[in-house]
Amino acid sequence: MPVTVLIVDDHPSFRATVKALLLADGFDVVGEAEDGRSALEAVKRLKPDIVLLDVQLPDMDGFAIANELCRHNGGAPTVVLTSSHDESDFGPIVARCGASAFVPKAELSGAALRAVLR
Amino acid sequence: MRRLTAAGVIGLGLLLTAGALVLVFQSDHEEEPVLVAVTQLLSAWAFILGGLFAWARRPDNRFGPLLTAVGLTVFIGALYESNSSLPFTLGFVFGGLFIAVFIHALLAFPRGYLETRLVFAIVAIAYAALTVGSLLTSFFYDPADDCAECPPNAFLLVDSPAAVSAIDAVLIAVGIPALLASLYIFHRRWRAASAPLQRVLLPVYVTAGATLLLLAIALVVESVSEDAGFALFWAVRLTFASVPIAFIIGLLSGRLAREGVGQLVLELGEGSAPGELREALARALGDPSLRVAYWIPETQSFADADGNPVELPDGRGEELATMVERDGQTVAALIHHRSLEEDPTLLEAAAAAAALALENERRLVALANAQARIQALVDAFPDLIFRMNREGEYLEYKGKEEDLAVPPEQLIGARAHDVLPRDVADQLVAGIERAIDTGELVTGEYTLELDGVPRDFEVRIVKARDEAVVIAREFTERNRAQAELERLHAELVQRHRDLEHERDFIRTVVDSAPSLLCLVTPGGFILRFNTSLERLSGRRDGDITRGHAFWDVFIAPEEREAVRRALEQVVEEGGRGEYESNWITVSGERRQVAWSTTPLRDDKGQPRLLISGTDITERKRHEDELRSSRARLVEASDIERRRLERNLHDGAQQRLVSLSLMLRLAHARVESDPEGAAKLLAQASDELGQALEELRELARGIHPAVLSDRGLSAALEALISRTPLTVDLELLDDRLPEPVEAAAYYVVSEALANVAKYAEASSVAVSIATVNGHAVVEIADDGVGGADPAKGSGLRGLVDRVEALDGRLQVESPPGRGTRIRVEIPCG
Repeated sequence: MPVTVLIVDDHPSFRATVKALLLADGFDVVGEAEDGRSALEAVKRLKPDIVLLDVQLPDMDGFAIANELCRHNGGAPTVVLTSSHDESDFGPIVARCGASAFVPKAELSGAALRAVLR
Repeated sequence: MRRLTAAGVIGLGLLLTAGALVLVFQSDHEEEPVLVAVTQLLSAWAFILGGLFAWARRPDNRFGPLLTAVGLTVFIGALYESNSSLPFTLGFVFGGLFIAVFIHALLAFPRGYLETRLVFAIVAIAYAALTVGSLLTSFFYDPADDCAECPPNAFLLVDSPAAVSAIDAVLIAVGIPALLASLYIFHRRWRAASAPLQRVLLPVYVTAGATLLLLAIALVVESVSEDAGFALFWAVRLTFASVPIAFIIGLLSGRLAREGVGQLVLELGEGSAPGELREALARALGDPSLRVAYWIPETQSFADADGNPVELPDGRGEELATMVERDGQTVAALIHHRSLEEDPTLLEAAAAAAALALENERRLVALANAQARIQALVDAFPDLIFRMNREGEYLEYKGKEEDLAVPPEQLIGARAHDVLPRDVADQLVAGIERAIDTGELVTGEYTLELDGVPRDFEVRIVKARDEAVVIAREFTERNRAQAELERLHAELVQRHRDLEHERDFIRTVVDSAPSLLCLVTPGGFILRFNTSLERLSGRRDGDITRGHAFWDVFIAPEEREAVRRALEQVVEEGGRGEYESNWITVSGERRQVAWSTTPLRDDKGQPRLLISGTDITERKRHEDELRSSRARLVEASDIERRRLERNLHDGAQQRLVSLSLMLRLAHARVESDPEGAAKLLAQASDELGQALEELRELARGIHPAVLSDRGLSAALEALISRTPLTVDLELLDDRLPEPVEAAAYYVVSEALANVAKYAEASSVAVSIATVNGHAVVEIADDGVGGADPAKGSGLRGLVDRVEALDGRLQVESPPGRGTRIRVEIPCG
């Protein structure tokens, strides 16, 4: 079964490009969300394996959403944070928020997500 | 004494005389009636007449009545000649009473009363002996023992010659010392009397003394030999009768002396030297101690012949003063022995006679006094005084020789022209002539060179009969002193003016200084404050504010206690204090004032505190505005950064990320899906183009390159070319400083953006100009107006940007009448 992915980003062109890329790499993109509130709702509803979560959302901070998603041990998706900035731009909060990994947007690929799952 | 009294006494005397003659010549027991009658009448009338004379002369003196009483009581003895028992007995008992009255009169002479206790005792003994003593004798004496024809003693109790002898012995033992004491008193009084009084006293005391002495001897001798005693009693009667005659002789000698006074003074009145009159009066009045005191009207006092002041006796001592008057005016006073009071008529006569001479002498003394005073004044003058005649001849001079133009021996007799320079002499002689002719005081000044030294003289010329008195006073020293005084005065005046100017300057500075100045006591009570503080507080410096606590008048209520403590601390610790407080105006407005205290002392040395303050309300407001402006600029800058970051992130960055992912996806499909890869590459190319455009737009928003490269006008043209509005543009050819151009650009950019967004305008006019070194930018539209810089951050940010360059932005935007924004930015 292919790994299911929920893409959370407020830029539609980015979401479309990433979706095409992941589909090409064999992932199943089960849903997209453009803000934090709809992202949390989609996670409950779709239960994706991976939540590809943009750090900067119009309504919520991506780190806070990650923290929220990871509080429930068991059944929690693998949260992969992404941003057009570098990880070093955010500091230790990346490690403390519960997310499994931080992958810069320019480096996103199916291989990068699989590396996280491993 | 009234004439009636005298007539009564004489009438009584005549009656008694008649009675006595009847008794004597009808007496059965009188062997020598003629002799007795003659001696009795002689002595009785001698005393009666002498007494009346004395009485008339000194009515207030009892000596006259007493002397008269002696004469009248002599007649009592005539009763003894009676042939009847009772009158005979009464004559026996009281026949000697006249002797007691006689002694009384003598001891009262000349003053008329008994002066001492001794005198009084003697008189009392005399009365007692010659009444009570003879009455006692009458109880034991039987006349029949000596006189067979005598009537019986009506008072006889027991015929006892022994008792009679015993009583006589007692009477003699008491009477003789009393008589001798009387003699002693006469002697003492005579010694003490003045010469004129002695003349009056002497005959009286001689005859009376002889009478009393003979009486004493007779009393003693009678106890031994009745015949001898009897003879002596006759001698007593004779001397007794001579006493009033002697008294009259004494008075007559006084009257002769008075006549002598008148004669002498008349002679003196014709001319005598001062002092001779005194000696003449002293001689005439028999008082060598007599002094004359002349009345000096000018000083309202008495003076002697030498002009020395004389105090008149107060009347309590031995000296008395008798005033001498002439035509009702006091001329002089005669200061004489008290005894002269006994003969006031003598004194009056002397005073009256001497009045004319004394008046003359008084004038001489007054003249001498005046001369002495004038001389003293003249001597006290430091001036040169000359007596000169009309021709200018020196007649006399007074003054220091060294002040004279020539030696004194050459001066007297010389003329002014002989000793003085011609011009000075002319001036002097002309002055003398004028003074003599007109009687006016003539004054002048001249300078003489004495011993090579020029000396200044002031001269005054006054007429003295047909001559002139010239008073010359040197005033060279005075001139110098005057000049020095004037110099000092001028210096003082100048210094005073300087001080006044300085004071006015300080006052002006204090009043015009922007500083708020208030002078208070160490206790903080207001003494005064300056105009600036008046303007700030709206209170007038005056009685209403003075004396009130500084903090109560000027400080906001919540800070008063702190200010009071601060002033207290400054006073306790000294030094300056610096504070910031809210002061309050009369209308309740608060002003922020930075103030300090300086301890000082006022012009009287009193410790004071000077409170000087500066109104920093506006400065504070500007500081606050500046702070806010800076904060807003920082905030605007932060917002701009965030906007840029967001734009980059959301725009170009996302597009580049997507581009990166597309390229990677296309690369993966190149071989498997060349057609899909080519589509992706075309998408990527569009994405790249959009990313570039967004970056350009972004860069333009940060700072348009054309502004830096080609200036404000080009930048504004580019800006307007991109705006949909119709803009009427008026540009400047010259470049402005870069910050000014940037500010002007953003003002226009923001304004046009606002017009496009809100104004609903059909046209906009933008103009750039320079006026007086300022860049003036105006943007005016014909839109809806109602713009408010306080409401929007855009206009507020522009205000901050302009004010950061010390510029000013004004917005006029009345609703419905468009908006006009005017910016002025200094270009210097």
